[in-house]
Amino acid sequence: MLAAYLKRGVKAGVVAGLVFGLLVALVANPLVAFADELGHGDGHAVGDQHAAEEHHEGSGGEQHDSAVSMTVTNGVSIVSGVLWGVLLGGAVFGIAYYFLEPAIPGTGGTKSYLLAVAGFVTVSGAPWLVLPPQPPGVEQSLPTDLRMGLYGGMMVVGALVCSLAGFVHGRLRDTHGRTTAAIVAMLPFCLLAIPAVLSPANAVESSLPSELASGLTGMIVFGQAVLWLLLAGTHARLRRRSVDTRSPEGATAPADRAPTAD
Amino acid sequence: MATANNTVHDRVEQARVELTPTQLAVGLALVAALGFALLFVQEPMVHDSMHNFRHAAGITCH
Repeated sequence: MLAAYLKRGVKAGVVAGLVFGLLVALVANPLVAFADELGHGDGHAVGDQHAAEEHHEGSGGEQHDSAVSMTVTNGVSIVSGVLWGVLLGGAVFGIAYYFLEPAIPGTGGTKSYLLAVAGFVTVSGAPWLVLPPQPPGVEQSLPTDLRMGLYGGMMVVGALVCSLAGFVHGRLRDTHGRTTAAIVAMLPFCLLAIPAVLSPANAVESSLPSELASGLTGMIVFGQAVLWLLLAGTHARLRRRSVDTRSPEGATAPADRAPTAD
Repeated sequence: MATANNTVHDRVEQARVELTPTQLAVGLALVAALGFALLFVQEPMVHDSMHNFRHAAGITCH
């Protein structure tokens, strides 16, 4: 049964990851490269990104103080984008969904979308409250190690807050009704403000025009939101299809089948 | 899929029955390795190759 869930999660991850990889290829790569040039303020023209460069990886230099050539950066970034989708799909919609399905509020596809919200808050939303997404070429005042710690810490906090919201909803649904439970379940998310306020401030210094910087930030936020939306949408669709057709994995134990549909 | 195991606890129990410790370890290791590689590795070659992706995903970077 876990295998069936995992397969569905990874499938959703591949779909969302391919779209996110496309976003990286078509939007993020050129935009980040451009902002990098601008941010570092040197007059080098951005090198052509033709396939011919692939054979001259060592001769880099197109990108400021980079250890690898721009072709490698672009290629690996696209692959990473796809893997990012697969990882989130497998870990969140495969493994986490399998264990948490009984505890997630709602029925059917709603569960997928709620899990996507929780995933977004955990992986991106909560850390961004402390460390907003930065365009390239920005000098940040906090050291990298501390920022990675903060990012990881806020992921844990985000996961805890989401679990708390789910727990609260589960406790209140039966006694106080659906609406009250849903409203009260929103409250734990306010807890995220506490670490956001208490954490050390990360002063940033950027030479980018503010329009470009805000455009980049918008692209980043939009990209992650679309990724989670696609994950949830694909997952809900796959799940519905497997319920409709009674997939062989799902029908391994027909005697256990309870009348309550989820 | 509506099976009889309808609490989180039951799901954990069922996973414990279905999975061997090796499978569990391999699965966790895969997820952890991929997550760590994508999010936190700072080794220059790796970091610079994923530079654009990390910015696109809003992950904290150099």
